[in-house]
Amino acid sequence: MKKTIVLLGFILLIITSCEKDDFCLQNPVTPNLVITFFDDANRLIPKDVERLSIIALSKTANLITNITTDSIAIPLNSLATETVYKLTMNNVDGATANDVIATFTIKYTPKNDYVSRSCGFRVIFDDVSFSADNSWIKNITPTSTITNIDNQNSAHVQIFH
Amino acid sequence: MFRYFISLCFVFVFVDGFSQEQKKDSLIDTKQDTIIYKSAYGFRLGVDISKPIKAQFDGSYSGFEIVGDYRLSKNWYAAVELGFEEETTQEDFTNSTAKGNYIRLGFNYNTYKNWLDMNNEIFLGYRYGFSIFEQTLNSFTPNVVTGETNSVPYFPSDIITVPQTETGLNAHWSEFVIGFRAETFKNLFVTFSGSYKVLMSVNDQENFKTLFSPGFNRIFEGGTGFGFNYTLTYLIPFQKK
Repeated sequence: MKKTIVLLGFILLIITSCEKDDFCLQNPVTPNLVITFFDDANRLIPKDVERLSIIALSKTANLITNITTDSIAIPLNSLATETVYKLTMNNVDGATANDVIATFTIKYTPKNDYVSRSCGFRVIFDDVSFSADNSWIKNITPTSTITNIDNQNSAHVQIFH
Repeated sequence: MFRYFISLCFVFVFVDGFSQEQKKDSLIDTKQDTIIYKSAYGFRLGVDISKPIKAQFDGSYSGFEIVGDYRLSKNWYAAVELGFEEETTQEDFTNSTAKGNYIRLGFNYNTYKNWLDMNNEIFLGYRYGFSIFEQTLNSFTPNVVTGETNSVPYFPSDIITVPQTETGLNAHWSEFVIGFRAETFKNLFVTFSGSYKVLMSVNDQENFKTLFSPGFNRIFEGGTGFGFNYTLTYLIPFQKK
């Protein structure tokens, strides 16, 4: 009799504390801004940015340091309505004297959107608009007039330089 | 003549066999035994004691359930359970509380052949469950984790602690129950039962999702779940059949 009570108490404990495995499989949950770089002279050809470093205006640590690429994904600040990034590139040599800095501003309205039990909420960005000062960035075009950022399936904006 | 003597014997034996017929027994009708064994029928009422026990161990849960059943025939019972539950669900990024009432209606079929004067059961049953509740999203943190886990996001997000409540949510589900019931003292029954629940419909809270329904337990993507009951019931006999 005692053994059955112990066994049944054990079963009760197991069943009430059982939790189903639920993992968040999306990564990232909140979409980043995807930028692709193209040649200003020939707008269909992607052009690498050399020795690109990116830092946000309000931060002291670099987001990206000294890479050469033609597409990047950068996060937007979900607690504000705009994010300002300083994009530094150097297409001469590694000397800091030849760095060229451009300021890139993204304005938007952040909104919370529920995903699932394990992923929680994500932030999507509505009414997006871009602007830059004209140093090495010659032109910006949002891809096919995107106004919301809610996924990272394709690039959101093209920068011509 | 003497040559065919043995063959003639064989023929007669054969014929003899054929001609025999079984006579039917025409006995007088035996009298049927008229002793009928009566067992108590009535209404059983009790409580589920697994819920207060769970509330003791789990600080985020509280609940109470009353069970009842009524015997319809030798092996069929109509059953009802009603109760109240409140649970706070703490997930990685959200914290919410659901509280409300529920009722389960159904029937049980006893598959156990009882000996004389014993009232034990091994039953299978079905229930239709219905709950009305409210859910409050207490707080959440937007998930801005990107790339590798455990790396601090470049722009961390803040926890939002403005509670959002939605009342009048409801859920409907079906349950398949299997259980064991034993009569311990006279008219006092102890039951263990487990159930497999299938969610039929649920209202989701606006801009959120219903994660817990009283009576159903946690709601996952698949819409199914398990439940467990341990009840004590007392039979109020008001008829004997």
